[in-house]
Amino acid sequence: MPVSIIIQLIVDGLAMGLVYVLLASGFNLIMTVPKVLFIAYGEFYMLGAYVLWGLMFLGDVPFFPALCAATLATAILGGIVYRLIFQRIQYMEQQFLTNIIAALALSMIIAQAALLAFGTEARGMPSIFPGIVNIGGITISVEKIVLVALTLAVLIGLNIFLQKTNSGRAMRAVSFNADVAALQGVSANMTCLATMAVGCGLAGFAGGLMAPVFALSPGMGAITIFVLFVVMLGGIGSMVGAILAGLILGMTLSFGQFFIGSGLSQILFFVVIFIILYFRPGGLLGKAEADIPI
Amino acid sequence: MEKPRRTYRFKRIDTHNRKSIGIIVLVVILLLVPAVVHSPYYIHLLIMVGINAALAMTFIFLLRVGLINLSIAAFWGIGAYASAMLTMRLNLPFWLALPAATIITGIVALIVGLLLCRNSGFGFIIPTLAFASVVVLVFGTFDVFGGYVGIVNIPHPEPIVIPLLPLIEFTSKTPYYYLMLFLVAVVVTAFSAFYSASTGRAWRAIGLSSSLAESLGINLFRYRLTAFIIASAVCGLMGSFYAHYYSALVPITFTPFPKTIYCHIFAILGGIAFPFAGPAVGAFILTLTPEFLRIVGEIEPILTGLLVIVLVLFAPGGILGLLSSRQQVAHPSESIDRIGKWIKASLPTSRTDRENRK
Repeated sequence: MPVSIIIQLIVDGLAMGLVYVLLASGFNLIMTVPKVLFIAYGEFYMLGAYVLWGLMFLGDVPFFPALCAATLATAILGGIVYRLIFQRIQYMEQQFLTNIIAALALSMIIAQAALLAFGTEARGMPSIFPGIVNIGGITISVEKIVLVALTLAVLIGLNIFLQKTNSGRAMRAVSFNADVAALQGVSANMTCLATMAVGCGLAGFAGGLMAPVFALSPGMGAITIFVLFVVMLGGIGSMVGAILAGLILGMTLSFGQFFIGSGLSQILFFVVIFIILYFRPGGLLGKAEADIPI
Repeated sequence: MEKPRRTYRFKRIDTHNRKSIGIIVLVVILLLVPAVVHSPYYIHLLIMVGINAALAMTFIFLLRVGLINLSIAAFWGIGAYASAMLTMRLNLPFWLALPAATIITGIVALIVGLLLCRNSGFGFIIPTLAFASVVVLVFGTFDVFGGYVGIVNIPHPEPIVIPLLPLIEFTSKTPYYYLMLFLVAVVVTAFSAFYSASTGRAWRAIGLSSSLAESLGINLFRYRLTAFIIASAVCGLMGSFYAHYYSALVPITFTPFPKTIYCHIFAILGGIAFPFAGPAVGAFILTLTPEFLRIVGEIEPILTGLLVIVLVLFAPGGILGLLSSRQQVAHPSESIDRIGKWIKASLPTSRTDRENRK
């Protein structure tokens, strides 16, 4: 087993895992601040990829402005959706299940709309950053390096935003207790709306980032299920946990695909989740309260 | 002293009578449907309504114990594949494979439940989702189960002889319709018997407050496991019926998204407080609407999605909750609210809040 192949697999896993980390942090935000289990999340990832594709190939826009536009478009759509649907559910009884069902209906609508607009066939995109870098006999494509660098930059930026700015503090306050936050002059509704926009924007950004690497298809939204697992595995609301879980997923998939094939490696990942969640129901770094019975 | 007791008895008998008359009328209507509806297509839709309603009933069944089950479709699939394997590989007749598949699904649920039922909340929800995904992947990956192409030509049930009736052959849709009615009736009878038995009362207590139930000497793990096995076995029963009715199986049918979530939607849109009528009404409306909307062509899922959102926003108690004048004090909705509140409370909070709660 040559070392270079192992290192390449690690880089692959890192690139794949970091995108899951990005998606999981957005999902985490939506889960902790407006407290919606947002199943339609994957559809926003898909929309981001298609917006980027559309702008670059139909509008001849360069990559970075197109990526910003994809982020912005999904963020605005997320805000609109929150205002129209989820804000009304916030004050209902049985809020948790109602939210899930509204989100599922939303994902049905978006997925079918995308299917009608873009067709069923998968669309490929030529590589944006062609070329490979050779470091001591290990070849890594420039694309993966850019992907890892951009993802890391956004993750660090998100963390600074949550910890140091007033809007970020407002989000954390609302996730802690919306009523107390309201007493301090923080509008829970506006904060939830902003969080939804930021979360959906992150999904769109991840979609735009992955568009040149993977083929586009309206079925991309099915990624939600993996995001859900990453969030649960890391523990709800835990950023470090999401990073750990995302890397576990990325490494399992990349090494598994190489050694035992894609189907078996997914089974392996689910078995790992099953075992970890059996012993730690709250996730790797989750709160111990999660095993308090209902 | 005598009087109040007498009126109470009288009232109770009266409502009981009204209810049983309603049930008898409903059963007669359901039995007469094939005499009125001749199109095999509509009979097919009604059969699917029955399967979906039974699956949604198992969701409410477990919700009463305080568990949200995301592996309904997986156990449905296990029943279907077990039955198909038994009839095709071992050449068992359908009438033996049906109970055998139910028992096999129950055994699988026992093994999985031994691991799952120790936790509740997310510790239960997410492992069931993981298990459901594994089941679909296993059906798709291994060639024994036909891979992603699936299994075709599953044999139809053998003709049976019932006294006083002509020989029943499963060539048209109508015998399947009656078989479906019979199975759903069995499920409803079994569930309502459980609900009114002491086991059902223990489940209800767990759903309302598990710590209180535990303090009263109810073994949480054992009761949750029993409920999980029964609910899963019912899914397996419906799966076995589905396999032989549809005579083809594809693993994609049994994915948790959207099939399991659809079962939840049926139950919630019908009304969670109604353990039998709610799933039936929800499944009826949501199985038939997309078919009738098919006239508009490809935008049908969009319209269905909009319908679901509108119903969720404007009829939070479900369709039956909207129609019935009865105050919604039935406990399942309470327990859902409780689950929601509990999940809210289990979401991360700051350290001071956690210490306060301790």
